[in-house]
Amino acid sequence: MATSDKLIEVKDLKKYYNKGAIKALDGITVDINRGDVAVVIGPSGSGKSTFLRSLNLMEEPTDGSIIFDGVDITKKKVVNAEGRMVKLNIDQHRQKMGMVFQHFNLFPHKTIMQNMTLAPVQVKHMPVAQAEEKAMALLKRVGLADRAGAYPIQLSGGQKQRIAIVRALMMEPEVMLFDEPTSALDPEMVGEVLDVMKELARSGMTMVVVTHEMGFAREVGNRVLFMADGRLLEENAPRELFDHPQHPRLKDFLSKVL
Amino acid sequence: MDHFIQAENFAKISAYLTLFRQGTAVTVLLSLFTVVIGFILALLLATMRLSKFCPLAFLGVDREGRLRDGGVLLAVSKFNPLAFFATAYVEILRSTPVLVQVFIIYYGVFGSLVSLPKFTFLGFIKFERFFPGVIALGMNSGAYLCEIIRSGIQSIDGGQTEASRSLGMTQFQTMRFIILPQAIKNILPAIANEFVVIIKESAITYTIGVQDIMSAVNAVRGATFIIIEPLLVATAIYFCLCFPTSKIIAAFERRMSRGDKR
Repeated sequence: MATSDKLIEVKDLKKYYNKGAIKALDGITVDINRGDVAVVIGPSGSGKSTFLRSLNLMEEPTDGSIIFDGVDITKKKVVNAEGRMVKLNIDQHRQKMGMVFQHFNLFPHKTIMQNMTLAPVQVKHMPVAQAEEKAMALLKRVGLADRAGAYPIQLSGGQKQRIAIVRALMMEPEVMLFDEPTSALDPEMVGEVLDVMKELARSGMTMVVVTHEMGFAREVGNRVLFMADGRLLEENAPRELFDHPQHPRLKDFLSKVL
Repeated sequence: MDHFIQAENFAKISAYLTLFRQGTAVTVLLSLFTVVIGFILALLLATMRLSKFCPLAFLGVDREGRLRDGGVLLAVSKFNPLAFFATAYVEILRSTPVLVQVFIIYYGVFGSLVSLPKFTFLGFIKFERFFPGVIALGMNSGAYLCEIIRSGIQSIDGGQTEASRSLGMTQFQTMRFIILPQAIKNILPAIANEFVVIIKESAITYTIGVQDIMSAVNAVRGATFIIIEPLLVATAIYFCLCFPTSKIIAAFERRMSRGDKR
């Protein structure tokens, strides 16, 4: 499934708080290839979420670089197609990176349909009718076509998260970032969200997933990254990593969660 | 005077009913203009206070492009002139009496700096007095509304901004489509309250000769030496303006919140 075509290159990424007293990210270097389903695991406070949120600059890194689709998005200025220095437009790059949050973050004052069509219409200037057609197709894909006119408050947690996923898909991103997408869900709703994510992975979407769902990591991921103390300590194919952990911190972590 | 309130006094002041009718029109118009100016000014001030405009940011970075650890230059680099002036404006306007502000605008700004054309509109409203009154009250309520709007914007969960920005929407689009619609709904009771406050506070403009309800009371007193009864009439009019206004907005607010719970 994975090719060697690099989509995101992360080089020595650092994120410090309080002038370096807290090192949330302490030099992360990793490549994400097209078609990868990279699952990031690790104890809480290990910097997994900070790492994920840095990829689309929700968190501004202190140091290091993130090269997305050939552009270093950590730089304020970039060289454009005509070879001129221009101000980096982060919004343009964020369109290509869908993000799904732990707490869904649907827009409560808008219907499900409006939640999905707002960004394509406003940002990509897609005609409303076309956006609604596209949204309807995606809603059918996740089995929520009948809820198009509902408001987020009327949906269950699992339904909200499925909507959040298809809302991000509306922008046709090149990569989907998942920040603990099932952590805020009641146990019986975790499955329906993971099913959507599995289907997405099968369709060839590049995904970076921060999760505590070890079953998902093992079954769907093609790479598992283990983080602790702001560092990437071990990386391997899921079977290797879970069955033959090398680093003592990983062994310790797996003994607690498995 | 053997009675506090005398019925025949009401009969006497009924000759001046037109003054009260005109005064009511002035008070209503004054409040409407004030709330519009105040709201626009408040949006601007709140935007300035929440902006991240730091023109001296380059001073906070050293030669190698790293953020400085501390010192004067780091502090200076964080200086945001827009937020500074908006904050100063809000704090000064909130910490001085509105009467002083009205006098400064009327006697100071429009008395010597700017001269206004003298004309009467709608038949009885003197522009050269009405206009400074609107400006002064608008500037004052702008400061209060700014704080209401600011707290409303800050009360919206940060996840909303993150979700919007992650979809590629700009800061402005996020504000317009996501944050403001939710914030304004949350702060509607406070805005309604401020509108009622403006109606009541507008009484102060009679001191610069705006012919509002209070000025009608004064005119009647001057002509007839009756004071309590015209004041009671004014009280009744103010109540009839303020009480329904707050009730109407409360009903409107209920309708809006029904929209997303249903």
